[in-house]
Amino acid sequence: MSRDSAAAAPGRTGARPERPVGRKKAGSRWGRFLEGGLLQGGVQGSPVLRLVLRWVRRPLLPVMRLWRRNIQLKVVVTTLLMSLGVVLLLGFVVIGQVRNGLLDAKVKASQSQATGGFAAAKQNADEAAAGTADDGAAGDEHAEQNVIQWMSDLVTSLSSGGQGAFEVVTLPASAGGDTGGRGPRASGRVIPTDSVPEDLRERIDSNTGVFQSYTRIVYHPTAHKDPQPALVIGKQVNDPNNNPYQLYYLFPLTQEEKSLSLVKGTLATAGLFVVVLLGAIAWLVVRQVVTPVRMAAGIAERLSAGRLQERMKVTGEDDIARLGEAFNKMAQNLQLKIQQLEDLSRMQRRFVSDVSHELRTPLTTVRMAADVIHEAREDFDPVTARSAELLADQLDRFESLLADLLEISRFDAGAAALEAEPIDLREVVRRVVSGAEPLAERKGTQIRVVGDQQPIVAEADARRVERVLRNLVVNAVEHGEGKDVVVKLASAGGAVAVAVRDYGVGLKPGEATRVFSRFWRADPARARTTGGTGLGLSIALEDARLHGGWLQAWGEPGGGSQFRLTLPRTADEPLRGSPIPLEPKDSRRNRGLNDAGLPSGGGEKVATVPAQTSGDQVSVMPTRDPIPSRHGGAVPKADPTALPGNGARVVPRPASGARRQEDIAGPPGAEERSSEEAGQDGESSKHGEASRGR
Amino acid sequence: MGRHRVGADREGRARRTPGRTVAYAACGVVLLAGCASMPDSGDLRGVESTPRQDTQVRVFAMPPREDASSSEIVSGFLEALTSDDPDYETARKYLTAEAARKWLPRQATTVLADGPGVDVEHLGGREETDSLSYTLTGTKVATVDAQQSYAPAGGDYSEPMHLTREKKSKQWRIDVPPRGVVMGKSDFQRNYMSVDKYYFATNTQLGTSPHTAAVADPVFVRRNVDPMTQMVRSLLKGPTSWLDPVARTSFPTGTALKNDDTTLTPNDQNRLTVPLNDKAARVGLSQCNEMAAQLLFTLQNVTPTVDEVQLEAGDRQLCALREDQAEEVAARGSVERATYLYFLDDKHRLVRLAAATNDTDPDPVPGALGEGETQLKSVAVSRDEDMAAGVGVDGKNLYVGALVSGGPLGEPELTSAGPSAEERLTAPSWDAQGDLWVADRDPRNPRLLLLKEGVGDPLVVKTPPGLEGRIESVRVAADGVRIALVVKQGEKSSLLIGRIERAEDGKEAERSAVSVHELRSATPELEEVTAMSWAGDSRLVVVGREQGGVQTMRYVQVDGSTPEGPAPAALSGVKEITASEDARLPLIGYSEDGIVRLPSGAQWQKVATDGTAPVYPG
Repeated sequence: MSRDSAAAAPGRTGARPERPVGRKKAGSRWGRFLEGGLLQGGVQGSPVLRLVLRWVRRPLLPVMRLWRRNIQLKVVVTTLLMSLGVVLLLGFVVIGQVRNGLLDAKVKASQSQATGGFAAAKQNADEAAAGTADDGAAGDEHAEQNVIQWMSDLVTSLSSGGQGAFEVVTLPASAGGDTGGRGPRASGRVIPTDSVPEDLRERIDSNTGVFQSYTRIVYHPTAHKDPQPALVIGKQVNDPNNNPYQLYYLFPLTQEEKSLSLVKGTLATAGLFVVVLLGAIAWLVVRQVVTPVRMAAGIAERLSAGRLQERMKVTGEDDIARLGEAFNKMAQNLQLKIQQLEDLSRMQRRFVSDVSHELRTPLTTVRMAADVIHEAREDFDPVTARSAELLADQLDRFESLLADLLEISRFDAGAAALEAEPIDLREVVRRVVSGAEPLAERKGTQIRVVGDQQPIVAEADARRVERVLRNLVVNAVEHGEGKDVVVKLASAGGAVAVAVRDYGVGLKPGEATRVFSRFWRADPARARTTGGTGLGLSIALEDARLHGGWLQAWGEPGGGSQFRLTLPRTADEPLRGSPIPLEPKDSRRNRGLNDAGLPSGGGEKVATVPAQTSGDQVSVMPTRDPIPSRHGGAVPKADPTALPGNGARVVPRPASGARRQEDIAGPPGAEERSSEEAGQDGESSKHGEASRGR
Repeated sequence: MGRHRVGADREGRARRTPGRTVAYAACGVVLLAGCASMPDSGDLRGVESTPRQDTQVRVFAMPPREDASSSEIVSGFLEALTSDDPDYETARKYLTAEAARKWLPRQATTVLADGPGVDVEHLGGREETDSLSYTLTGTKVATVDAQQSYAPAGGDYSEPMHLTREKKSKQWRIDVPPRGVVMGKSDFQRNYMSVDKYYFATNTQLGTSPHTAAVADPVFVRRNVDPMTQMVRSLLKGPTSWLDPVARTSFPTGTALKNDDTTLTPNDQNRLTVPLNDKAARVGLSQCNEMAAQLLFTLQNVTPTVDEVQLEAGDRQLCALREDQAEEVAARGSVERATYLYFLDDKHRLVRLAAATNDTDPDPVPGALGEGETQLKSVAVSRDEDMAAGVGVDGKNLYVGALVSGGPLGEPELTSAGPSAEERLTAPSWDAQGDLWVADRDPRNPRLLLLKEGVGDPLVVKTPPGLEGRIESVRVAADGVRIALVVKQGEKSSLLIGRIERAEDGKEAERSAVSVHELRSATPELEEVTAMSWAGDSRLVVVGREQGGVQTMRYVQVDGSTPEGPAPAALSGVKEITASEDARLPLIGYSEDGIVRLPSGAQWQKVATDGTAPVYPG
């Protein structure tokens, strides 16, 4: 119920408080990810870890904020990451292809070289065998021993063909177990047993074909060479005695590795350049777009702050320039229209003020004349005497109307000044109550003051507060139908409040805001002859607003109404809430009564849907109230956008749980209800009596 | 919109100065184009020589397999002998424990032409025997003795070897191994290398130089077994027995390395620290410098390079010597550079050319020999290039003259009584002391003569009694203690290296105090030696012909081995040849094309068409 209110809070646009909310939502993906998934989920058990993580995260927070806010950063980082990915992928593919290409070429060349070497070894053995056979019959035994030198010579001659291009290794064929006493031989200080893989040896032992494998050549320490990758090709060959041995060609892949590392280095350098270049390009391009957009945002902010003369600088003819021109045109039109409206409004106010002033002088004359006539009315015939009385009455009314008009035009002109000083509201209330006592007696109403045990002090303009309260109390007495009027004072949390409660005809839904409109009447048909000027509550609202306070109304048809004035305890302090709930505890709905005064179903409140969508707009369809017009507990609902302030500023307090629930439950259907009731205004004669405003 | 304005400004500027933009772009393109092509000019810098690829083949000895057959044991043992084990540990595993203890592999190394053959002697024909006898056979090429000195050898090699089956393990082992190490020639060349260790000549006083002369003493060390330490050890042991009578070492007797297992390696500044035992602790500085010079000379050609030697004994530094300082301690023939190349022109007079140039325009030498009054057939110039000796066209007379202008040519110092030009005087040769050597080929009275200072009375040099045949050519080494002689016997001629000993002790004995000892053949495989010259401290260049072969030119070591490295490029019809002991000077030959020279790394070049008898000083 705190929403259906007329708030006197200084003007704030409705959109403004929403922005942080929306931004938080949009940008909290990261935060949620970190807090929920990454940080809290995993580390809830360990406070130390959480501490560490917090310590780590703290310097990251500005970065994250920058990330959320800076589109340029986002685009550049995304570009960098994506180009890095592409470059890495490309690098892997290219390096893989180069590697395969190099290896293919090397393997082919090596294979042909090794095959030639094996053939040479075989031929060499055949020649040696033939030579010894020719030597004589001593043959076999003799030749067998000469293999030692023969094989060393063979390895020397084979390896002399490729200085550094390949190394030659012989190993005894180990399959038969009988190595013939031969040891391994190797050229180029290669350690043969470490350099030839074991599985290749086994394969060559068992097969006669040529096999190849990759290995790492291990050199003798005196060679001062690091082990290097190599291709090893081996075959089982026979020596002059027809004993098998294994001949291996080892081709170091040093050159290939150098080529590959050259390619790697080139690619890495090129990739680095490409990534940096793309990042720089993205940065420049985004900067080209973002800079004008930022400027437009800044200008728009300044425009919205009221500096309508701000314009964007436009150069060139591109899209950005068009945007700037359109923006400037818009701003210019806005400025023009606002200027016109302001001029118009100023003119009207001036006109009202001038008219009031101008009327005063003749009115004084008329007044004096009327006074003379009124004094002499007993000498007139009754009809004329009655006219004289009427004239005097209406002149009084005219005068007060003029005074109110002048007052309100002062407000409109911004000429009203607040003369705040600490006052005790109880005294003001006492003065007002005693002032209204005669009227109350006439109406048979008793005015009760509640909550005046403690002094309630606030910085306020006593005159204006008294005017507001007098207006409220007199209104309450007039519309109280002789029932009691309760004036309640309270003070809490930097705010003081005075609520005036009557139990009269009450307010229809939607009227709670309209009561503050100028010249508003609950019953338009009612003549202006009775009541006030119709400006009283408007002036009261302006007074409250001048204090930085709120003036809000609540009412229910037949249940009376309550007007609440909330003021900050010290001037210029923004209000956070009111010590008195806007809807009194003894409202019908709070008491659980329906229109007829009977207790309504207990489930009603429970059935409310406590869902609250964004902002203060509540548009939840009521489930408990299919016929709102007939419902006694119908809640007058103020359209918050129509109000200078809204109920969101009333911080719900946990203590008033019930009220809180009503806050949620109240608004549903209020709008349609009010429109419906607007249509019913005419026929609902029993409410028709209710009229507000003086 | 500021960005836009800036852009517009830039554009405006660019429009204003299009020429400059174009110039910048052109510069950029040129720069990029420069980067994108190979440079054809640029900075100059030295190139560090990369070590030559080592294609040495190594044999990795394998210990005997469990239950190996006897023939496997034999071939495994012989193979292990060709491996690089520092102390033949693997080979010893093929021996019985006692044989391994007694076997002395360093005692002797026998080089066979084609590797050792193995003949089994079947005993009794029984298969299951625990004892087998083998004989290692082959053709001997050379032997290396315990002093690591090489000597060519010939004849058949036959060495018994005996295998036994060990009682306990039932494994075949060798209980009678061959004496020392035996291997084939190519294995020997692969595993061993020849190095010169340097000593000082004892009984020579260099007349022309204050230094003592360093004598090279070639030995063979195992190439892959820490050659530097082996060389130092060998040097400390003293000169080989052949050289010992005429060479001295400056190391005190008994000097050795401090620890037996030291491995010597130079540090980063190429400085080698040699720790010696206490025997060397009390040497003086000059002796220590001589010791260091010996080490530096010896280690000059090994890798890694040694530029400085530091000697230590008893934890005290004795001295340190750098390579350039070592040259002042002792003279080596290979660093005394000849200034001129001398030869005879078409008028048979002595002319000279600057040695290290490509000059082909000779100048007559000053003095009588250059004036052409006496026609010469062969000449020799003293090592200090002050004196020259020439033999007349008919070979009859030997003239000696100073190389100074106006010096008269006196009477012949020596006259041969040989019947023909070919049987008279050989080309003379000067030694480092300024003495002149010449041989008289008179068949009735062949003799080797020495003229003190070139002018003294001819002294007949005693030659070993075993020398048969006629001395055809004489060349004395720069150190003055070794002499190379070409001796012709019948149709064969061979190159012999002898040791010169001078007995300086008694005046009485002076006339016969000079003798040549222990001639040994440096070219056993050559049948005919046409010309020869010293070409290094222990190297000669020889032109000769093998049996049934053609004339070739080759280098030989004084000990008869063949040095590593390529032979000089072939040249046909070489009659005379001369080389400097400094390897940087070109080889000069006299062939059918006239006088030609062979600069290192190039082909033969013609120097003079009609010159004869080219000689370097010496």
